[in-house]
Amino acid sequence: MNKKKAIEIKNLTAGYHNETVVENITCTIYEGDFFGIIGPNGGGKSTLLKSILGLIKPQKGTITIYQKPPAQMRTMIGYVPQYAEYDRDYPISVMDVVLMGRRNIRGYHPRYTKDDKTETVQALKTVHMDKYLQRHISELSGGQRQRVFIARALVSHPKILLLDEPTASIDKESQDSFYTLLQTLNKEMTILLVTHDIGVISSYVSRVACLNRYLFTHDEKVVTKEMIEATYNCPVDLIAHGVPHRVLEEHTHINNKKKR
Amino acid sequence: MFGYLIELFSYPFVQRMFLAGLLASISCGIIGTFVVIKRIVFISGGIAHTTFGGIGFAYYLQYTLDWMWLDPLLGALFFAVIAAIIMGLPMVRLKLREDSTIGVLWVIGMALGIIFLNAVDRSVIIIQEPVSILFGNILLISMQDIYIMIALVIVILIITAFLFKDLQILTFDEEFARISGINVFALNLLLLILVALSTVVLIEVVGVILVIAMLTIPAATAGLFTNNLKNMMLFAIIIGIITTFVGSMISLLSNTPPGAVIVLVMGLVFIGMLLSKPLFKQHKGSAVLS
Repeated sequence: MNKKKAIEIKNLTAGYHNETVVENITCTIYEGDFFGIIGPNGGGKSTLLKSILGLIKPQKGTITIYQKPPAQMRTMIGYVPQYAEYDRDYPISVMDVVLMGRRNIRGYHPRYTKDDKTETVQALKTVHMDKYLQRHISELSGGQRQRVFIARALVSHPKILLLDEPTASIDKESQDSFYTLLQTLNKEMTILLVTHDIGVISSYVSRVACLNRYLFTHDEKVVTKEMIEATYNCPVDLIAHGVPHRVLEEHTHINNKKKR
Repeated sequence: MFGYLIELFSYPFVQRMFLAGLLASISCGIIGTFVVIKRIVFISGGIAHTTFGGIGFAYYLQYTLDWMWLDPLLGALFFAVIAAIIMGLPMVRLKLREDSTIGVLWVIGMALGIIFLNAVDRSVIIIQEPVSILFGNILLISMQDIYIMIALVIVILIITAFLFKDLQILTFDEEFARISGINVFALNLLLLILVALSTVVLIEVVGVILVIAMLTIPAATAGLFTNNLKNMMLFAIIIGIITTFVGSMISLLSNTPPGAVIVLVMGLVFIGMLLSKPLFKQHKGSAVLS
């Protein structure tokens, strides 16, 4: 495989203060991947993302983005956080939220330029939200808001897009179109997505890993029973909520195909 | 009545009162908006109350060292900035319980103030009554105070004009600010120092205790009617000007304490707006889905 390594994680141990949240993680994400990481809440998904963003320093091991330390590659990464962290009362329009994304590549400037605004409208068009330019963020549905935050990440033209629980606030109907959007974006950029939602992820991503303190990877887009059980420490049908056995069925199906 | 008002305006103290109200409204409109949206009201309260210590300290130095040039507002400024720096230190923010730290600074400031004021022999130098320091007296503002207030407002205006974008990102989403390459620690500290400066502009008008009201009420009232940060500041300034003016006029004509009356007017306007808000057009947040 001579694909470029977009994100390379070697023996990473990370956490906060003296507490270790993820341990001994080794994983390479190649350019063009649509990589999904699933795991339970508290399993270290956000810690891993923050390490990749360079927001927390590894306790052990290394992370490189295109062979360089994360701090130098900040402008290459677009980050879409869990929207729940925002203050919905904050007086700000869709346009202004997306404009913020320009700070990353442009550095300090006292004012936004015409160019910034054109780019902002363009990014909102990409996520089909350009009709809502002047809306206040609280007037949007969960799915619309998530698209706005993707636009904010896109406006700095990143090569890698990181998403933290992107579908947590989206109703089931909007999820399909949301993942379709991500697949479109994937043609131009590498995507890394973390979620606890096993049901949706496997049908869209190109590679999957499970994270619960340790990372369990697999070469194919397969979640094995062993991975899930090691990750969640409980029988699979308990964590598959609403869609019992679906993950397992896909797994056996694909494995059968391979054996043929 | 109108003629009477015009006549009032020929008095220098009324002109100073109006000027002070204007300056206070500008600073509370801009910084108060950040205080409200970043939810740092309690920190601001802590900073505001330490200024009492600073005012006492300035009078004490006037008395013991004969530093008559030392305006009490400069003492207040000194204490407020020190308090802002202490609260902005990462060690304090991360290792200690933030609200406890605020509480400690708050009471130390007040205690120092009363001790210093008590140590001054009032037959030697003239000082403000503690009550007027605590609750303000917009009718007694000196020209020197006005000059200090003008200087502080200019500093506040320049800094916010140049850092408006970054302050918007910081107050909206601190994590995003960090990954956008903003020095979050420095900018948070600067914001607290701006709060300290605006606190000093406000104490002459409404007093140490009521500063927090002026810092929050106009901005909160403005926030009811706009979804735009700049408009929120502009509305807050206008609300500040009107309420300060009406409040000080009522106080002047009815011989009641101005600081308290101004704050009361602001409070009533806020409650009135809050109650009448549903009568106006459908405003933001009509669809808080999910």
